[in-house]
Amino acid sequence: MLMNLQFFSHHKGGGSTSNGRDSKAKRLGAKRADGQTVTSGSILYRQRGTHIYPGMNVKIGGDDTLFATSAGVVKFERKGRDKKQVSVYPTAE
Amino acid sequence: MIKAHFLSNNDTFCGFLLKGHADSGEFGYDIVCAAVSVLAINTVNSLEQLASVTPQVVSDDNNGGYLKVSLEKNEAKKPAVQLLLKSFRLGIQSIIDNYRDYITIENE
Repeated sequence: MLMNLQFFSHHKGGGSTSNGRDSKAKRLGAKRADGQTVTSGSILYRQRGTHIYPGMNVKIGGDDTLFATSAGVVKFERKGRDKKQVSVYPTAE
Repeated sequence: MIKAHFLSNNDTFCGFLLKGHADSGEFGYDIVCAAVSVLAINTVNSLEQLASVTPQVVSDDNNGGYLKVSLEKNEAKKPAVQLLLKSFRLGIQSIIDNYRDYITIENE
């Protein structure tokens, strides 16, 4: 007879599992598109850590959110060799 | 809970029946189930390989939780067989002494 050490135990399907939980989706990512006109204070990008860096007229909040510090047009740009940044360029009045 | 029955034929101890699941832990970590499993299965293998008898074995290999082992009276009377069966009963009793929430003897 095969030595099955769990012969007198309920199979996996029988017991409850400890999985089945997940956190709420945080809807991270870009909130404005490249070339879009924004007002001062507009949120541009929500992130955890700095996938995207703040460029001209953009600041970073406590939760790494990027927001515009003046009105203008959004520009996603390269930053150095392998990084990205977002800037806001005031439109000519 | 596992229920153990010790079978006898005119006062000759000739087999045992184990029914149910221990449920003393999750699958893979159920220590009472493991103890009873190794005791019962080793007894079956010992009867066949050491005592050279052929017990009738009925087991639910898909779901587990059911094992009936019985011997003809003339085979059951052999000293080696009686020793193995009594050793099995001693082991079951020892487990019950410490884990009575998970295994019990239905009849004596």
